[in-house]
Amino acid sequence: MRRLALPLLLPLLLFPLLANAEPATLVRATELKAAPATDAATVASLPENAAVETLERKGGWTRVKGVAGEGWVRMLALRFGGPGAAKQGESGIAQIFNVARTGTSGTQVTTGARGLDADQLANAQPNPAELAKMKGYAADRAGAEAFAVQGKLAATPVEYPQP
Amino acid sequence: MRTLVLLAALAAAVPAQAQFRLPNLDINRLIDTVKNVKKAVTDIGEPEEIEIGQDVASRLLGAAPLVPDAALQRYVNHVGRWLAAQTERPDLPWRFGVLDAPQLNAFAVPGGTIFITRGLLERMKSESELAGVLAHEIVHVLRKHHLKAIQKGAKAALAGEALNQALEERGGAAREKLISFGTEMYGRGLDKADELEADRLGVVIAARGGYDPYGLPMVIQTLQAMNPEDSGIALMFKTHPAPAERLGALEAMQPTLDAHASRPQLVERFKAQARR
Repeated sequence: MRRLALPLLLPLLLFPLLANAEPATLVRATELKAAPATDAATVASLPENAAVETLERKGGWTRVKGVAGEGWVRMLALRFGGPGAAKQGESGIAQIFNVARTGTSGTQVTTGARGLDADQLANAQPNPAELAKMKGYAADRAGAEAFAVQGKLAATPVEYPQP
Repeated sequence: MRTLVLLAALAAAVPAQAQFRLPNLDINRLIDTVKNVKKAVTDIGEPEEIEIGQDVASRLLGAAPLVPDAALQRYVNHVGRWLAAQTERPDLPWRFGVLDAPQLNAFAVPGGTIFITRGLLERMKSESELAGVLAHEIVHVLRKHHLKAIQKGAKAALAGEALNQALEERGGAAREKLISFGTEMYGRGLDKADELEADRLGVVIAARGGYDPYGLPMVIQTLQAMNPEDSGIALMFKTHPAPAERLGALEAMQPTLDAHASRPQLVERFKAQARR
């Protein structure tokens, strides 16, 4: 049943990927840069809590648009959400899937006694058949290495931070 | 001089106290119980950790089964196994599973079993984001965050002796209680410090695997943009520090993040494998 519904839902699934522009605020005063680099030219100085619209991300930088113009800021300096800022809510994808799964328009995700809410976790019963299936999907180290090579992922020594 | 007086007083007091009868005190039993408590605190060995983890994983799969898509499950296992190989516990029986649930969440089970929900996977845009979340969960296993929380909570819930029994007898009543408690814990969450540590070290593990380590902060930003009232993220928000706080704490990792920011995000492979 879920399989049948998927083609219909696909455009909805892709929508959040396309709709990238999101309102955000700056967690502190920040320089708006012409390029995603610390040594790039400064376009403007943005005050703390300045409202911007996010456009795209590149590494640790996000391209934003605001009253001071367009440019790049540190992605970690951006905050989304907050009161009134959220847009997804219950009309988001989760609910569409609930409908697809349960055939109702309710906000409860429960199908039978299953589910990942706190009370459902407390009453969960063992499922050894799924556990066995999961074991069958496991990757071994050699397989994982081949997968990494295929993706051009190079193992790199990086130290843990000091506690 | 004052010390001498004190010692003399003590010497006089001890024999007097020894005359009191302690009724029905079985001293051997007391010693055993103390030993058991000590063993429970220090001695959950790796085989026991793995066994407990398998039982808890089975319960979580009872709450939500796997997405019935073998190729997707194998893909996520490849990403996770590659990351786990870069850590200090590379040879645990690492297993990764996508749970068929619309909520956004991920769970790390002692001994190397890690779950991510379909709901969270659907919000991701690249393999580096998936790697960031799996790396965060891998840290919970490496640092035994859940195992320690199970121990701590079980000590209060069961007597020290019962915990020891639970560790030794698989399928016994004490073990059942322990597993039940261990599963329920995923509805309550870990200490905030454990979550923030998993963020910091998760970034390092993603970088070790050759990924753009900004994947994890990107997912946290996605969460932050969502409505906290959304039922799909209610539990995630209840059991984790607020996304804004997590992002703020990750600024300490900015040097590591920036040093590897130009590494692959693997957007296309992710789309091909996870969004069919």
